[in-house]
Parts: sequence; C-alpha cells; structure tokens
Amino acid sequence: MKPSNLGFRRFGIGFILSWSLIPIYWVINTSFQTDAQISDTPSHLYPPTPGWANYKALLIGNGELAGMVRRSTINIFIECISATVITVVLASLAAYAFARMEFKGRKFFLFIVVMTMAFPTYTTLIPMYRIMASIHLVNTYLGIILCYVSGFLPLATWILLSYMQSLPAAIEEAGSVDGASRMQVFRLIVLPLIMPAIASTGVITFLFAWAQFIFPLVLASDQSTQPLTVIVAAIQGRHVVPYSLLSTAGVIALSVPAVIALFTNRFIVSGLINGSVK
Amino acid sequence: MNKRKSVDLLPYALISPLILFIICLAITPAVYTSVAAFFKVQPLNPPTHFSGLDNFRDIIHNSAVISSLGNTFLYIVIGVTLSTVLGIYIAVILQRRFKGRSILIAILILPWALPGVVEGILWTGIWDANTGVLNSVLKSLHLITHYQVFLGQNRLLTILAIEIVQVWQITPLSTILILAVLQNIPDDLYEAATIDGSNSRKSFLHITLPLIRPGIAIAVVQAIIATLNVFDQPYILNGAATTANSLAMETYAVSFQNLNFGQGYALSLLITIFTLLISVVVAKFIYKKVEY
Amino acid sequence: MLDAIKVSKSTKSVAIVVAVVSALGFSSLAVPAKAATPSTISVVLAAPPLPPAMLAEFTKATGITVKWTQLDWDSLQTKIAAAATANTFFADATDVDWSRVGQLGKLNWFLPMEKYLDTKALSADMPQLGSFTKNGHVVGIPYDASFMVTTVNKALFSKAGITKMPTTIDEYTADLKTVKAKKVVQYPLNIPFAAAEGLSTYWYETTGAFGGHILDATGKPLFTSPTSAGYKAAAWMVNAVKTGLVPPGNINVADSQGQQTLMAKGKVASTFSDYSGNVGSLYDVAASSSVVHQVQYLATPGATGPASNLGNPDGIGIPAKAKNPAGAAKFISWFTDGKNMADFAGASGTSRTWVGYFFPSRLSGIAILNKKGSIIGGDVLAGMLKTSAAVFPEGAPAWYPEFSSAVYTNLHAAAAGTMTVDAAIKAIAATATKLSSGK
Repeated sequence: MKPSNLGFRRFGIGFILSWSLIPIYWVINTSFQTDAQISDTPSHLYPPTPGWANYKALLIGNGELAGMVRRSTINIFIECISATVITVVLASLAAYAFARMEFKGRKFFLFIVVMTMAFPTYTTLIPMYRIMASIHLVNTYLGIILCYVSGFLPLATWILLSYMQSLPAAIEEAGSVDGASRMQVFRLIVLPLIMPAIASTGVITFLFAWAQFIFPLVLASDQSTQPLTVIVAAIQGRHVVPYSLLSTAGVIALSVPAVIALFTNRFIVSGLINGSVK
Repeated sequence: MNKRKSVDLLPYALISPLILFIICLAITPAVYTSVAAFFKVQPLNPPTHFSGLDNFRDIIHNSAVISSLGNTFLYIVIGVTLSTVLGIYIAVILQRRFKGRSILIAILILPWALPGVVEGILWTGIWDANTGVLNSVLKSLHLITHYQVFLGQNRLLTILAIEIVQVWQITPLSTILILAVLQNIPDDLYEAATIDGSNSRKSFLHITLPLIRPGIAIAVVQAIIATLNVFDQPYILNGAATTANSLAMETYAVSFQNLNFGQGYALSLLITIFTLLISVVVAKFIYKKVEY
Repeated sequence: MLDAIKVSKSTKSVAIVVAVVSALGFSSLAVPAKAATPSTISVVLAAPPLPPAMLAEFTKATGITVKWTQLDWDSLQTKIAAAATANTFFADATDVDWSRVGQLGKLNWFLPMEKYLDTKALSADMPQLGSFTKNGHVVGIPYDASFMVTTVNKALFSKAGITKMPTTIDEYTADLKTVKAKKVVQYPLNIPFAAAEGLSTYWYETTGAFGGHILDATGKPLFTSPTSAGYKAAAWMVNAVKTGLVPPGNINVADSQGQQTLMAKGKVASTFSDYSGNVGSLYDVAASSSVVHQVQYLATPGATGPASNLGNPDGIGIPAKAKNPAGAAKFISWFTDGKNMADFAGASGTSRTWVGYFFPSRLSGIAILNKKGSIIGGDVLAGMLKTSAAVFPEGAPAWYPEFSSAVYTNLHAAAAGTMTVDAAIKAIAATATKLSSGK
C-alpha cells in the first residue's frame, strides 16, 4: 500500500475510535469519580481515585435505589428476551410463507408490512395504550411484550424474508421430492439454513427492545414491570442527583447493549443490511 | 402445474400472527389517529366533535410549531449531510480487509446500540457550559480563553451541537449500508483504473462514488426518517426552548401539555404521511432488488 | 413446485405451533398481572418512598399495604394525562401539582376530596388548601408546604466584605456586583434559564419580590406596563445575565441542575429563588456539596424590604379511575396528619425522616416541629411560611401549562438575546390574554 493511503487509513482508524469511544469513555470516567471531582476545573481525564462506590450505591445493598435498579434490570431482561423470542418465531414463519409460497394477496400483505415500519412511534402511543387498557394488559409483562412484538415484527420479517430470498430454492426442492411436508422442509432444511439471519433478527430486536422508553413508561405503572430505561430516567429526574451517580446508572444501562454489540457485530451488520428499509 | 381445488391455507396460517399483530397494534392505532385528526379532541374544552380541517389550520397558526418546522428542517439538512458524508468516509476506510478491521466495525456500531436515555446523560457531560469536558479540553489547549456556551444561545450552533449527538447515533447504520454496497465493487475495476494512471482521489470520484449510489440512497432515507422524528436529543439538551425545538417535540407538547389531542393527531398524521412518502420510494427501490 | 406438498396436515401443524407458542409464552409471562386486593393501594409520586417504619405503621393501623412507585416529575405528568385520556387505572393516589389544579379539576380526572375528608375542618389548619380547590372541589391535599426562598453563600459574601445581609432588591443587586467586582467568584448569581418550569417559577418569585402579581383573578396579565412588578422582574433577570452576574452557561441550566452544580459547589454566591428545603437536603450534605454550613436562607429581598415568598406546595389526590379510593383516602388522611408530617420533616429522628421532605402543610404540624427545633434554619423559614403567597390563590387556571410554556420559552429567548425583554413580555401577555378569554 502506498504511504499516503496508509496515512489516510491510520487517520481514519483513529477517527473511528475516538468518534465512537470518547463519549462512552467519558461517562465511564465520570462514573468512577466523586461528585466533587466531576465539577473540578479542568475536568479529570481519568478518575483520580477510582472506586466502586457509585456502583455499590446502585446495585448492592438494601438501599431503595439499588432495589429499583435491580428489579428493573430483571424486568428489562424478561421483557426483551420474551419479545425477541416471540418476534423471531412469528417472523420466520411469516417470512417463510412470503419467500417460498404463492398466495393471493401476497404482495398486498407484504406492502402492509413495509408500510407499518414507517409509522412514527408516538402516532400510536395513546391508541395503543387504550387497546392495552381495554384488554387489561397495562402494567403486565405481557402488555409490554406484545407492544414490542407488534413494533418489531415487520422489520424482523423483512430481514428474514430478504435473507431467505437470497438462498437458492433448489435445496428445499430436493427435500420436497422425498415427500416431506412444507413444514417439515421448513424445520429440517430451511431453519438450519437461515440460522445466521435468525441470529441477526434476534440481536437487533433485543437491542431495539432494550432502548425503548416512552411505551414502557406509559404501559408500566410500577416497579413490578418498569424496565431499566424508565428507572434511569426516574433517577435523572430526581431533585438532588449527583452527576456521578447518574453516569453510573447510564453505564449500567449501556453495558448490556454494548457487550452484545461488540460480540455479535457480524450478525447486526448483516441484519441491518438485509432490513435496511428502516 | 396442476390446478388445486381448495385454497392453499398454509401461507395464510403462517402469516396470520404477523397480520394479526399489525392490524391490532399498528393499523388500528394508526387509523384511530388519522380519523381523530379531523376531530376536535380537547378534554379541557368538550365535547369532541368533527371539525374538518380546523386542526390543520390551527397548526399553521401555532408559532411554536412553525419555529419547530424550521428547526426540524435544519436538523434534517445537517443530520443527513453529516451522517452521509461520515458514512461514506468511514465505509471507504473499512473497504479493504486489514488486521483489526472487524474489531473496528464492532466499535463503530456501539453508538447505534445504546438506548436514547443514556445518550442524554453522555452528551450533557460533554456540551455543558459550566462543567463540560469539551470546554475543559479546549481551554487546556488554549483554543478558548473562557468557557463557551454551546447550547441555547446561537440557534445554528445549538442545533448543530444537538444534531451531532443524533449523527453520532445514526452514522453507524449509514456506514454499514454504504459499506455493504462498497464491498461488492470488484477490485479489478480499481486495478484497471490504476493502470490507466488514475490516482486514489480520481478512483474515488469516478468509480466508488457512482457505484455506491444505491447504498447512499438507503442511508439518506433512514437518516431523513430519523432526523424528521428527532425528539430525545433536543428535549434533553435544550429543553422546550424555541431555539431548537423539533416537530416531534411539539406534537408531544400539543397533546400532553396543552391537551389538544386533535391537533396532536393532525400533526402526527402529517409527519406520518411525509415519512410514508419517503418510505414508499425506498420500498419500491428495494422491491426491485428482491423480487426477481 | 409447492403444490406437490400436502396442505391440510401442515396447516394444522403450524396452527398448533402458533397456538403452543402463544400459550406457552402468554401464560408464563402474564404472571405479574395481579388484581389489586382491597387491602392494597398503589401510590405514585415524584418522590422516594416513605421510611419503611412509617409505612409499616400505616399498614398496621389500617390493614392497607402501600405499593410505592417513584417516577420523575415530567414522566409522571405524562402518565397522568395518558391514563386519564385512555380512561384507565394507573394509581390509587398520585401527585397533584399546584400548577395543574385547574386543569385536573376541570377535566374531572381526580375524585373530589371533600367527599372523603372533612376538608372544611382542614382548611383552618392548612393555609394552602385554597390553591388546591377549583370550582368548589378539592382536587388534592397539600402534603409538603415548600416555597421559594433566597439562599446566600455567607462565606463568599463575607469574603467580599459583605457582612450585613441585604433586605431590598437594590441592596441585593449591589452586593452581587461587589462579589463579582472583588473577584470572589466570576458569576455570583444562579438563575436557571433553561426553557423549563423552573424558570417560570423563578420569575413568579421575583415578581413577588418586586411587589406584584402575575395575573388578576380573571386571568388577565398584570405585567405589561414597564412599571409593573412582573415587567421589572423579567428585566432584572435578563439584565443579570447581560451584566455578567449570571454564568452565561446558565442559558441551558435547569433549576435543580444549577442548585447542584453551581450553588452546592460554591461556583455562585446566591440563588434568588431557591427551594426551601435545599440547605438541609443539599447544601449541608457533604456527599453532594462543597459548601457545607456556608449557605443560609435569607428573607427574600423585596422592593422596600423583605418580600413575601412564593408558595410551591406538593399535593396528593385520588385519580377518578382508582381501584381503591377509600383506601387511598385513608392513606392521604394519615399522610397529611400533622404529627406524621412533623416526623417526615425530622421531628422524631432519622428512622422517621423522609428524604427530600421539607415542611408540614398544617400549622399544627409546624407547631410540633418548632417545639422540637429540629429543622435547619427553622425560625427563618417558619416566619417566611406565614407570609408565603400562592401564584394563584384561587387555584391555577386550567390553561396554566400552556401559559407557563409561553413564560419560560420567551424569558429563555430574552436571556439568550434572540428577543428583547419587551417583546418577550408582550408575547407572554398575548398568550395569557388569549387563554383567559377562551380564545
């Protein structure tokens, strides 16, 4: 490679690293400082006396904050995992039908799926809340999960559909000759083949669900169902809340998606490319 | 092909859960919103009744909405430009394989994966005029003599600072969409150009840029949709101030603060129509790619 | 090629898969959906839970278990509006802010409290109850009588050679200028100019200090003339930024934020409109403050002498869709009991003290507290409470939120320099006139 190109790339790598990481580094940095250290000028570029005090205050012990954070962490996992599993199962069934079967109204239904991806979320907030209230699902895990599933199902279907369409149908045809039913073909041949796309869909759905705020805020009434994001906002809105503690709450809320993004980036990238309508 | 007597029910069974979800929890609320946009829905001022285009007329006379319209336009222009240019730049850096490239991609995606609630916390620590790190660093480098106010004073600077936060979040997606197309460009095209005496700038302008246009198109559309709906970033960083309030924030304020739900629905409907128009264009575009 | 495959069998199997998935998923996930038993009430407030000992006491006395949920104030207001418009339950007892009394009263989103408590008897002991009453209905019961008050960092003032505290706003302004001139701090005054509710409140308090009111009884603006208190207050606030008394960065600082990052860190010397509990709950707490024992309450300097303070009470009420209104009423009655409120404020030791609580809303509660002398700066505060005045003595108008939004966006713009004080005042007045005349 020519030196000029090498310089170009080195600069670029430096840019990507600092652009993506500095804001995240900064919140981690402040989470290891005391409140007094944060307001020092000039700012400390690294924690002068790093310690776990803020994390202990939010995670360990009988404190009321720690209780809230722990409970909401359990809630967010239950809600995100359930929503992800249901979304992936239903989306792969639908994607299979769209990709491999001819039926009346196929194009029409596909069009509807694409259309719903474009609705801004707050358009549906109050009506959605009304529907949930009328079927007594406000403040239940199920209500929040159904809301997530309805929101992410179109995109998940789209990602899986594009992936299935990129696979040659020949393998499945070979299977069908042996007299297997279409669902057997789906289970035994298609499902193993689309595993990478299922992983993509799952990871993306999970990350989207993790990031939700306004819907769970309205749909969850108390700590039994409130996810971590709602609790972070509640901490942020307190009258007296040290920025150090707030940073720590932020780090806790970003740690899970960050780890997932770091380790599953291959699936995220391919999923985003397949579902790039959103 | 032999003709079937009965209708093939399997595909309908397979898509029925999806369609059920869409009808119950997406279409029904959307239809409700669209209809209610033509009604006077003001709990403070009952009764609710059909009011034709009144809500839409009121929107035009709502000065906060008008200022947010201008701001949103700026968000779109700044956000789409920055995220696309950065997206192309980063994608070009990542075009060829090199050691550590996959780790770099993993790090690149991070901002996209984080929840919006956290983003506000992250960036207040950076922009803050009294304790922010940007001021601290600029002052240490002697680039400024005293702490600057980034947010709230100058409209353009405020919007730029806020939009950078959103760009930080949406650029990973733009990059990946562009990179996907970029990687399909065969190497021999570049080799042939090099033999013809083309330098890297020329190759970029004459080979790369024209060929990644489909990727750019999708990236631009997702950026338009994201910036058109910008909410968290201005709300957290600049409050309700008219310097940087967005259309989405006004929709929220009209509904939940003024309790003028009819007008809120009307505003939502306008945003939805605009978003749909853009999406339909893309959907058509992608349809061509997948429907052989 | 797909026609070669049998239909009926596979259709059935899919139906079964879907049914099983749904059944499995749904039954195991719907567990936390619990029916509220009559002996439970759900309380949602923008405040941390009461001390466990106190809640246990209530449960023991009444057999009612309290489920407490804390939300941030903005989220809570959204939830109240969303639940009420969707006509659905979300809490048995929740926040009734003084600023929302008119709106909530008109919407009938809350049950009239006079049906559950003897509010007539209460009103003599509860001076602020009037501002929670609208159209003859008591929308909520005030449980914390906080008000706005001036706080001063005495250490910084004395460094500038100021030992006699100001009693008029002119003296106060002159002192701030001295603090700045002596370079004790670069910017001595904290005004939170972020476009948010805290800015409106600051202006109301300052208007009171200049000896005037915001709106008349019919909702017409009283601040349009340049000689009016409201006009002078706005000009004084904006001028404070222009002349460098307020940090330029405050253009985007909200009230709590400024108190924590500036006042509590000794970066400013005074907050003209501060929360009445802050010395005890923030400035004297070593974990969040570097100015412990330096900040004190000051009778708010007025036009000719100490001015009346702006009441900023918190209230609690019962939403119309409450599942257990009787239980909620019992709770509210206990919650606003004079002795209990004195305990919240620290009359009986830390195990009964409620973090962030300030001052009982009942005179009898204050009497208990004063007898024990257990509140920081209590004597000064007690005197101020007697003269504290509501922005809207007859309850805030239904259109208050829209009015307040006009106040803070326009004052913010004036401070940012994008419009003049005169233009800002005109815009606020136009909004008030439009809203009070019902458009």
